[in-house]
Amino acid sequence: MTGYVVRRILLIIPTVFFALSFLFFLFFTLPGDPATLIAGGAERNPDPIRIAQVNERYGFNDPLLTQFKDYWGRTIRWDLGDSFKTNRSVNDILGEKAVNSLRLSIWAILLEVIVGIAVGLLSAIRRYSLADRLTTILTAAASAVPVFVLGFILQYGFAVIPNKQDWPEWLALRTSRLGPDSWAFSFLPTGEQWRYLVLPAVTLASVSTALAARMTRGSMLEVMRADYMRTARAKGLRERDVVARHGLRNAMLPVVTLIGIDFGTVIGSAVLTESVFSWPGLGSAIAQSVVKRDLPITLGLTLAVVVAYSVINLLVDLSYAWFDPRIRLGQGEAA
Amino acid sequence: MRLKRRGLKLLALSLGLSLVAAACGSDSTPQGTDGTTTTLPGVAGGDFTDLGTIVGSPLEHLDPALNSTLDGYQIVNPMFDGLTDIDATDPANPKIVPDVATKISSNEDASVWTFEIGKGQTFASGEEILPSTFQRSWERAADLAGDYSYLIGFIDGGTERLDGSAKTISGVAIDDEAMTLTVTLDAPYSNFDAVAGFQLFMPTPKEAVAAGMDWENQVMFGNGPYKMAAARNDQEVKLVKNDAYDGDYNGDKWPERLDSITFKVTADPDTSFNSFQAGEGDNANVPPAQVAAIQADDTLGSTLDVSILGSYHYVFNQRAPEIGGDENLKLRQAISMAINRDEINDAVYDGSRTTSTGITPAGIPGFKPDLCEYCTYDEAGAQKLFDEWKADGNSQAAPLKIQFNADAGHEDVVAIVVDNLKAIGIQAVADPKDGETYFSDLADGACIMCRAGWFADYPTYDNFMFDLFHSKSIGGNNFGFINDKFDGLVDEAKQTTDKDKQAQLFQDAENVLLNEQTMAVPINWYRGDYVYSKDRVASFPQTNFGLILWEQVRLAA
Repeated sequence: MTGYVVRRILLIIPTVFFALSFLFFLFFTLPGDPATLIAGGAERNPDPIRIAQVNERYGFNDPLLTQFKDYWGRTIRWDLGDSFKTNRSVNDILGEKAVNSLRLSIWAILLEVIVGIAVGLLSAIRRYSLADRLTTILTAAASAVPVFVLGFILQYGFAVIPNKQDWPEWLALRTSRLGPDSWAFSFLPTGEQWRYLVLPAVTLASVSTALAARMTRGSMLEVMRADYMRTARAKGLRERDVVARHGLRNAMLPVVTLIGIDFGTVIGSAVLTESVFSWPGLGSAIAQSVVKRDLPITLGLTLAVVVAYSVINLLVDLSYAWFDPRIRLGQGEAA
Repeated sequence: MRLKRRGLKLLALSLGLSLVAAACGSDSTPQGTDGTTTTLPGVAGGDFTDLGTIVGSPLEHLDPALNSTLDGYQIVNPMFDGLTDIDATDPANPKIVPDVATKISSNEDASVWTFEIGKGQTFASGEEILPSTFQRSWERAADLAGDYSYLIGFIDGGTERLDGSAKTISGVAIDDEAMTLTVTLDAPYSNFDAVAGFQLFMPTPKEAVAAGMDWENQVMFGNGPYKMAAARNDQEVKLVKNDAYDGDYNGDKWPERLDSITFKVTADPDTSFNSFQAGEGDNANVPPAQVAAIQADDTLGSTLDVSILGSYHYVFNQRAPEIGGDENLKLRQAISMAINRDEINDAVYDGSRTTSTGITPAGIPGFKPDLCEYCTYDEAGAQKLFDEWKADGNSQAAPLKIQFNADAGHEDVVAIVVDNLKAIGIQAVADPKDGETYFSDLADGACIMCRAGWFADYPTYDNFMFDLFHSKSIGGNNFGFINDKFDGLVDEAKQTTDKDKQAQLFQDAENVLLNEQTMAVPINWYRGDYVYSKDRVASFPQTNFGLILWEQVRLAA
């Protein structure tokens, strides 16, 4: 087990190397000369002197392989550089954005886990009931409504209307931005903070929660037909225990995989939610940096996302052994 | 000047309440001219939360030496006062007035300018502003090489300083004892007093020099009515009163100005408006879909009726064989005449913009109404020109491509243009391009007929004619219009000190551009796009340069 974990952690190194190297070379193949764009060419035809200065300042005159070597030399020393556009340290930017992304992701995933699994479970054990049909319709709708549409509807319903109708303050949520930065233990919103968190977290969780619910339902229905479930009932176990101890635990493997992938994805790809709610996270920062050809930000933030994604995948794989004790991690490789 | 957020989604603006009327209307005292305090409606002080300025992607720059967007200038401007300022009290006739300089003079051919700096003016830190402060600031601007650094090249020796071959800008001479700053230009330029007040030439304190490019990530301050309360972050930029402010060009210190202005960052214009409606701020950017609702709501005020000195137009590529050259002149004229600008204004902008009759808008000194002969919709006339072009042996080998930056609100305009052209038999297709690479694509010669837009940096005719269309312009002539007659007229106009003669020369140049060559197709002139709550805000003046006069903003009682 320990050897497996160590090997998986070491695998993160080539994953990061190939991902960032790919991005590095992709940067120079995108349309538009980076120096021209950085010198203001996205909006105007820049001064040739300024282009020359940009080329000099960022080393674009060097051969690409030299730039590549220099980049990895700096990265290994954790020198992520400064933004081409704002001159801010990428380390500082990463520190701010990563925390914001993690907070939002944790709450979105908690919603997915709690609501998605609960709804899927209920839907499965009450198959063809009104609740099941309602769940099917709602999850289909949640998957279909674009994130930005849902975001604007929620903003209007839970922030604009309460203000216009003079509803009590405790009923009003906030449309956007991070809020007062009052968190306990780094992720528990306190004071006014929860008003800022609810809408983006719900919006970010909407699609994944719907998918988790549908997958839980499908997986549970499959498991409910299994022989060991009948055996468990035949042994006289209460239905609640049959479902929780034998059914749900066995049905969780694909759901956990889905949630793990979702967690990795929402950390670095919540671009639309972050944009609609002005929640400055990693996803929107990476997207903007690509558009603006701000290579240090693209690479620096992607580094964090790739590492986070790899670690979460590892944790998901480790969790398989807990959900299904028959799984022995690493034994296949050892054999 | 770039207008970042408006490049995102703005489709329509509409009529509203006047900015200047709101600021200087019947219940306000006329602005003082002798240093006396001016009274505006509303209460003194208070904290203003702005949701309408930083909308879209986060601001890149706040350093006056680096910023090139109007959104950034909304924050830079209240922090700095330049050598000159623009008195836009009469929007139709903005005037350049001395500000930090108390007296401005030039030699006969406008090649040498002398600025006398008023004594006792300081930055918020207490550092005195001297002629050498400007020399230092301009050299710093050359070092930082921002988008506007090419303006340093207007000064003799500026180009050498920019390319690093000189340590100083040789055309700048200072005398801190006599408090004079003498600037020798690279070529005579009679509007240099207007350019000298622009953000790139604003004075910056010694802390800025020490911090270099990182200064904008620190707590910035200048000599304006406001200074930063804290370093900017992803969420907001907060300005507070600068108690050392020594007044505007009239000497008015606006002591009743707001205590603080917090510019909140909003990633999306619709969210900005939702936040505003949810009571989270005092103003917002007007989303296109909300124009009618804002007009109908008596509780809201807006700057929708403020004519902004900016042009929305399309340009032709002189080098493109299908549209450039003398042989295609009648085709270009037919296109310009076939476009129904009123239809575009009504259908796309809710009638809120001003249909243009030229590139240079009213309010720019020298403006001539109805200058463009081919800008009035005349389907029969356009058909005749197109038929004549065909009779000369020409034909369209492929539909004319109309390029624009995608997802920025131009699709609907281009759709109408395509329909208008189709009506007279000209085949055209929309050719949307990736927004960020749009202009660099154009610079590579990809433009056939492409969208362009420009907001005035300062009230001069050459800010449109030179910056956009002169063959030596750095800022905008990226579609290859090269015409010796045009260049000659603009060059002569820039050097002419007689304002009437100068106006005539610029008009003649624009006549070449629009009528003799028809290399540009004006569509409309912009309007303001801020909305505010009348319950919260009593005065919210926006100049026709698009700038909010923050020291004159007042909260309601």
